[in-house]
Amino acid sequence: MHNRWTLVTTWFLLSATGQAVAGGGPPSSDTTLLEDGEKIYQQYCASCHGIEGEGMPNWERQNAQGELPAPPHGPEGHTWKHSDAMLYRIVSEGWRDPWNKTERLTMPAFKEILTPAETRDVVNYLKTLWTPEQRRHQAEESEGAPFPAQSE
Amino acid sequence: MKNIASRFLHALSLASLVVASLGIVGVAGAAEEALPSLSYDQTGERLLKVDSHQLFQSINGGETWREIPLPEEGKEGRVVTAAVPATAEKALYIAGPSIGVQRSTDHGESWHEVDEGLPSQDVIAFTVHRNQPETLYAVVVDDGLYQSEDAGKSWKKMDSGPTQTIRRLLHSDMEGSMQTGWLYAVSDDAVRLSMDCFCGWRPTGELDAGRVYDVAYDLDDPERVYVTTDQGLWRSDNGGQEWQRVNGDGTEKVALTLAPAGTLYALDRDGELMRSEDQGQTWTIADA
Repeated sequence: MHNRWTLVTTWFLLSATGQAVAGGGPPSSDTTLLEDGEKIYQQYCASCHGIEGEGMPNWERQNAQGELPAPPHGPEGHTWKHSDAMLYRIVSEGWRDPWNKTERLTMPAFKEILTPAETRDVVNYLKTLWTPEQRRHQAEESEGAPFPAQSE
Repeated sequence: MKNIASRFLHALSLASLVVASLGIVGVAGAAEEALPSLSYDQTGERLLKVDSHQLFQSINGGETWREIPLPEEGKEGRVVTAAVPATAEKALYIAGPSIGVQRSTDHGESWHEVDEGLPSQDVIAFTVHRNQPETLYAVVVDDGLYQSEDAGKSWKKMDSGPTQTIRRLLHSDMEGSMQTGWLYAVSDDAVRLSMDCFCGWRPTGELDAGRVYDVAYDLDDPERVYVTTDQGLWRSDNGGQEWQRVNGDGTEKVALTLAPAGTLYALDRDGELMRSEDQGQTWTIADA
């Protein structure tokens, strides 16, 4: 579990590499947003993706329903490969693995539960779980695919 | 006595290791065999064949072939594939170990290296995005999978790839991806699939058919996928989730491609072209 100091440190690291996650605001407000993001994560995401973002066991193998279990969000996962726009969309609208043999979404949709700002906060919190190189890669991916305007 | 026995066993185990190592090298060497490859250029409505370090095109379904000149180093190196973007773009790409990725816009009269951003020129598989002519994918041996979104001016490592060596790579615009499509990766043992955001490789359906050679899909119905193996041709109607064997003529096919009208083309090990108009049920020699 991240504490406030971890989030503050991460914010400074993000800023130092030119990738402040919520550019423009002073550090205290950004840290608060990351804390908000973590709270949301623990409330809605951790049950599948793990308290530390470690994902489900055997997340790389399809299960009997044809689904890939919830992946980790840390360096060993692939969340960092997705742009802000895509991560926002997946959290908001959910996603159905086309090989899913059930009727349900593989990743549930949270647009009826989270506000646009909360969705953005939780995505920004995920960035604290990545390596600096992964954050750099993801920032480049997001240059042409940023968060939607309504989340600001 | 015990000491002699111990030395004998030690020598025996060393010899076993040497033999085993040679065996591994042998297997690896066999896997490196230069098989012909085949692709279809939708824009130019032509077949492209790479065979014995030569590149050919046919605009009449394989009845006749015309050689496209390769760069000098391409004749020494091993060109593994040729590909053309599925647009009006006139670009023709070739790729292979020691030649990297090269591009021609004048039908092979001149070639330009477009692999400066790659860590080496040992490219063992290559493909072009189905709908984005400037998006290229290259597999660098013992490294991983790289993507260029500017026709090869710059490259970015996206993934280490599956642990098995990728022999063929194919981009598909089949629906269901988080991003823009999917990548099929053919290794000797299986066909694997990843969304083109590179969030994990998954094996396609069970395919206990010996060595896998190539994969192709129907451009008008991307969920219809074909794979050719040691044990013949297999078809999937759901993107590779399940495979069913196609009762063909039993000839070995090591390269495969589909034309937009649904015509299936294949090459045997000698580079001989075969054509099927009935989804692989029956085949005819194309230039007969």
